[in-house]
Amino acid sequence: MAPTLRPDVLVIGAGPAGSMTAKWAAKRGASVLLLEKRQEIGSPVRCGEGMSKEWLREVGITPGRWINVEVEGARIYSPSEKVFEINEKHAGNEVGYVVERDEFDKQLAIDAANAGVEIRLKTAAIGLLREGGRIVGAKVKQFGETTEIRAPVTVAADGFESQVGRWAGIPTDLALRDMDTCLQYRMTNVDSDVRYCDFFLGKVAPGGYVWVFPKGEGLANVGIGVQVSQVKNLADAKTYLDRWIEHHPGYAKGKKIDMVGGGVSISPPLKQTVADGIMLVGDAARMIDPLTGGGIANGCIAGKICGEVAAEAAALGDPSKAFLQKYERGWRARLEEKLYRNWLAKEKLVTLSDETFDKIVDALAGIRLEKLNVHNILKAVQAKYPEVTQEFAAFL
Amino acid sequence: MPNKKSLHIESSGQLCIYCGACVGICPLNCIYLDETRITFDESVCTRCEICVKACPVGAIEIG
Ligand code: SF4
Ligand code: SF4
Repeated sequence: MAPTLRPDVLVIGAGPAGSMTAKWAAKRGASVLLLEKRQEIGSPVRCGEGMSKEWLREVGITPGRWINVEVEGARIYSPSEKVFEINEKHAGNEVGYVVERDEFDKQLAIDAANAGVEIRLKTAAIGLLREGGRIVGAKVKQFGETTEIRAPVTVAADGFESQVGRWAGIPTDLALRDMDTCLQYRMTNVDSDVRYCDFFLGKVAPGGYVWVFPKGEGLANVGIGVQVSQVKNLADAKTYLDRWIEHHPGYAKGKKIDMVGGGVSISPPLKQTVADGIMLVGDAARMIDPLTGGGIANGCIAGKICGEVAAEAAALGDPSKAFLQKYERGWRARLEEKLYRNWLAKEKLVTLSDETFDKIVDALAGIRLEKLNVHNILKAVQAKYPEVTQEFAAFL
Repeated sequence: MPNKKSLHIESSGQLCIYCGACVGICPLNCIYLDETRITFDESVCTRCEICVKACPVGAIEIG
């Protein structure tokens, strides 16, 4: 058995949230060990690769070669393909980049390494170490060899399929309605527009949407998310996506060069993300935006807070749940209201008929919105289709 | 003997794309993904079929 390692902070998972946590813990003076179970950080890519950009400065990420395309806006398509355009003018910096996710993840790991973080590849956590009810590290398997890594603070950043949180006894279970099953093709020779990320709503993707994120030169990520509670048959995600492509000649003529899938939580925020000696961050903590399905921004924002609190807890020698609440309070103050608001909006959206989607998008297509928010959207819809807004009385 | 259904994950790569969707949703935490190998603990699984719905490509069958 290899010798026991003793960092101040042990971070499990080198996705964006994990690398960000590790980096900020190191910047605040902690010795940090970052584990990645795969052999290559950032690969295989699992997500749509779209992200907003207004938060990058806040967490200390500088734009780099991981930016693939900078889009001007997003287009929302109703079932009968009426279009509503969201651009920077009324959405602020919510719109942003299509990125090379593997490059992005590697850049964040490089940033972490530059801050002094130790990184171990091909190292999977297989269990947690406990002492008097407190988590004091993890049992890991590295190149087939089992080792124990003891650390005052452990951080679970092991993504959507997180096991670490469950091992720690933090409930992260998802109901069928709280998850989307996703599939995406990278396609070449398609007619995507590099100025926009496109979203197609309604029955083309029950409880979710079809997305097209342009990657330039006729390349695009074409994907789908379907709410698991609305899945009727085996492989519905694939069936719906293939059908959508078939019905869109600009895509049907393209060629698929890559295929990825995954799960995305679309749940309300977790009630608890810390326990004695351990914190959960990113997709593992169900921080994915339940409306857009995007997880990178929230994972990085929470990661910074998590890293700072981890370093402080290690320095003070107090990794108790009571102290780690500082992280819990911090990320909630920054993210919870929006997560909750977007969850409510999503809960409503998944119940709408195609006809209602059409009316909403039609009402919005004809006008210029000053600022994009639920209130302004509903006002616009009310002006044209008063009967529709009755469904949204609670939001007005 | 109760008629115990069997769960089959087509994990040879014919269907499975190792995406982890099933792993994340299994309420009993009994599916494991190890790069390009997916396994599940038959003794824990309750055949609830949740993973079957969560799989985007239909690689899991219960019969
Ligand atoms: S059938 Fe249910 S318990 Fe069994 S592996 Fe699938 S999700 Fe888990
Ligand atoms: S959800 Fe399906 S494709 Fe994804 S890992 Fe599980 S069995 Fe494989």
